Amino acid sequence: MIEIKNLAKYYGDLAAVDDLSLTIREGDIFGFIGPNGAGKTTTMRILVTLLEPTSGRASIHNLDVSKSGKKVRRLVGYMPDFMGVYDDLKVFEYLEFFAAAFGIERKKRKSIVEGVLELTDLQSKQRTAVDSLSRGMQQRLGLARVLIHDPKVLILDEPASGLDPRARIEIRELLRELKRMGKTIMISSHILSELEEICDHIGIIEHGKLVFSGTMEEIRPHLGIRGKVRVKVAENQDKAVELLSALPEVSQVQAVGDKLAVTFHEGSDGDGVIARTLVKADMDVISIEPEQLKLDDAFLQLTKGIVH
Amino acid sequence: MTTTSAKPASHSLSPLRLTGPLFDKELRVSSRRRRNYALRFVYVILLTFFVAIFWLGVVESEYSPVFQKSRMALAGKTIITTIVWFQFITTQLLAVVMLSTSISDEVHHRTLGLLMTTPITSLQVVMGKLFSKLLQIILLLAISLPLLAVVRVFGGVPATYLLSSLCMTLTAFLFAGSVSLFFSINNRRAYVVIIKAAVTLGFLFGFLPVTIGAAFGAAAIGGSGPPNTSAWQIVLFLHTNPFAAMSLNTAMMMSPIMPAAMPTFYWPVHCVLMLVASTLLTAVSVGIVRRVALRQATGQLDLLPKRRGVKKRKNKSARQPGKSQERFGIVRRVKGSPVLWKETRAPMIRGIDSRNSFIGLVITIIALFMTYAVCKKSNCLNESFVHTTYVLMFVFIGSIFTMVLSATSITSERESSAWPIMLATSMDDWHILLGKAGGVFRRCLPVWLLLAGHVLLFVCIRYIHPIAIFHLLIFVAGLVSFLTGVGLYFSARFKRTTSAVVASFGLAIAIWIVLPAVLSLIPEFTRDSDQREKFAVYLSANPAVQSTVVTTAAGGDRAARLKLSKLRYQWPNRPGWSRVGGATRALLTYMVIYMSIGMFSAWRAKCRFRRSVF
Repeated sequence: MIEIKNLAKYYGDLAAVDDLSLTIREGDIFGFIGPNGAGKTTTMRILVTLLEPTSGRASIHNLDVSKSGKKVRRLVGYMPDFMGVYDDLKVFEYLEFFAAAFGIERKKRKSIVEGVLELTDLQSKQRTAVDSLSRGMQQRLGLARVLIHDPKVLILDEPASGLDPRARIEIRELLRELKRMGKTIMISSHILSELEEICDHIGIIEHGKLVFSGTMEEIRPHLGIRGKVRVKVAENQDKAVELLSALPEVSQVQAVGDKLAVTFHEGSDGDGVIARTLVKADMDVISIEPEQLKLDDAFLQLTKGIVH
Repeated sequence: MTTTSAKPASHSLSPLRLTGPLFDKELRVSSRRRRNYALRFVYVILLTFFVAIFWLGVVESEYSPVFQKSRMALAGKTIITTIVWFQFITTQLLAVVMLSTSISDEVHHRTLGLLMTTPITSLQVVMGKLFSKLLQIILLLAISLPLLAVVRVFGGVPATYLLSSLCMTLTAFLFAGSVSLFFSINNRRAYVVIIKAAVTLGFLFGFLPVTIGAAFGAAAIGGSGPPNTSAWQIVLFLHTNPFAAMSLNTAMMMSPIMPAAMPTFYWPVHCVLMLVASTLLTAVSVGIVRRVALRQATGQLDLLPKRRGVKKRKNKSARQPGKSQERFGIVRRVKGSPVLWKETRAPMIRGIDSRNSFIGLVITIIALFMTYAVCKKSNCLNESFVHTTYVLMFVFIGSIFTMVLSATSITSERESSAWPIMLATSMDDWHILLGKAGGVFRRCLPVWLLLAGHVLLFVCIRYIHPIAIFHLLIFVAGLVSFLTGVGLYFSARFKRTTSAVVASFGLAIAIWIVLPAVLSLIPEFTRDSDQREKFAVYLSANPAVQSTVVTTAAGGDRAARLKLSKLRYQWPNRPGWSRVGGATRALLTYMVIYMSIGMFSAWRAKCRFRRSVF
């Protein structure tokens, strides 16, 4: 479990993180979203003990990151936004180096490295020089490195940035596999639609402050867009608009392509009313579906796009 | 109509056409850099300092005003010579340093390929870079022109000397800058370029003429070759070596009546030859820059084509059925401390693999034995000065390697963004520090082993006294600890590798060269006996002094046969340390001091590990 309370990090007068509080439950995938310079990376760096907070407290599995640095580092696997590689090492050597750095016994290292290589599908590259790997492969290697000491918590700073669609899908699958293994994952990304598919919770940060934290379901009322449905009828769309606009629960009906976007008054829930009204008028209803909230929309609505 | 036709004509005649818009951009950027203003300030300070030293040397204040006035012409000559030589050396150093990142920055920031998508040619890229930096240096030269004009009033200095020395300085730093620019094409790090350029210039203008001269000398002693270096060889040497040319030019000015046997020397010929050499090197650079830029523009990873041998090996392995090239690599298992293991896997010199390093080491050993043979033929191998020279050389090279490798050990990881990952592991900071220090020592070991090999070999054949092994061991232990600790501190302190290396070198130069020179100027340190003793104690801490004292006392066949009690050590103004006991105590004391400073610096480095991680 990750717990952050009133965390602040100042660079001179600039507040990179300002009174940030959030909780990530064990076994969750937490998506951390925000515009450039919002404070995501700073928060992650504090959590992995690379930065000292100016004030506030952050703990991982009840260990204060400022006080128990070494213990926290054993619990956490950190993948930075830009991962450096060592020029003169091969993939196997690179992973074994980090296995040794985390104090894993020499006898166990080989099997652990092989296991991680298998999990990340890098067995065929184990004798390849690290610096000659493609970007996608290097990201995969970064994930393999993060897993080498079997950490309970993974903190991944934009692990899919700069990758092609196939590599992104592969990383996503790998993260799902890690969730199944019971890891707690904190992940930041600008590819918001990806987080939408894998995250249990999301946190939106701007100007160092958390503007929203919760599940995807919880974000709907927060944005005040609850009660929006899309209706598709077989024919006579104009008549449908006329009928639905007359309903007291409906505030607005708009034709969007071959569908109708119906917005209810606040507090109303009129899916059943719509269906009854249209069927009563002898119209063929093809579909009535609640409007999907995209994470990109939430991001745009909740943040103003102002960069520090 | 006339206006439109006149425009292209004036445009084609403009010198800016040669340098293109890059020249303008470089000037704008350099005017915004504070370091350029700091550089001018330091230049003026150093120039004033050196002029003051030589002025005081010629016109001493304790003599009568009449005597002092009579020496004004000599003072004028001395000051002008000082300024000329100061400019001659510093401008070459500056040209090497300033052009060390000229092309590598463009390669690293991936802007070189971008430039190729514009009408800018590779000639304009090279010329724009070269001349924009050289213009900065010319500005520094201009600073001292009024001083030269004023000092000429003292008399005795012909205007042709000023003109010739100025032209020689210009062509010398143009050549040095061209060499640095050439190396900056395929070396990312500035300090690598600086070292490569310095070694190349040292080889061309120092090692090569000395070796050729020594070879002729040895042949003359053996009686199998010409009796002496012939006149045409000296003329060629004078016209192709800027240091020799400047020395002769200065000597001719200082004493206009030169011996009749003096070789013919025309400074314009020398300048033309240097210009031709610079032009050829620049032309080669233009060709390579174009290739590199085009490869970058087309997204190729290897910016320089692989050497033929490498290609052949790769092709051979690729031809073997069922085995891809990547399966051929040998995986080495991590043993002991992971940091130390990783550090020792890195090559001694970046860019040179272990196989080539081994070949280089073998060639060095062969060359070393050849020099022993030459010394033996000249009947000087049993002299102490020969061993002092060898030991000084090994200490110098070993110190440079230790300084560079320790100063780059952390900054290079920071530059490649690998440092945060290392710190995010559960290794404690002491473990990382010791691994880094051990790695520096392990990578420098070949150089120190050459020193050990030299001393052991000549102890065995009784040309060096065995006590030198113990004394040099103490001395090297202190020196290596100090340089490693300080280097690690600078590496943890600075973000850029070049800054850390420059700081390391700067400290060494300040405490072992500049400070002793400054102290020697202060009358209290030269006349008052108490202060003089303190100065001697400080001077004895100098590694060059320590290695000279130890090897001079214990080197040579005569000293090698002496009893320990008969050995005499010539410390500067320290008669109490002349016996072996005193010398050992002194060396041990200095070792403890150096080790303490080294360890303190290393501890400070450890404290800074997590301060500036990114």
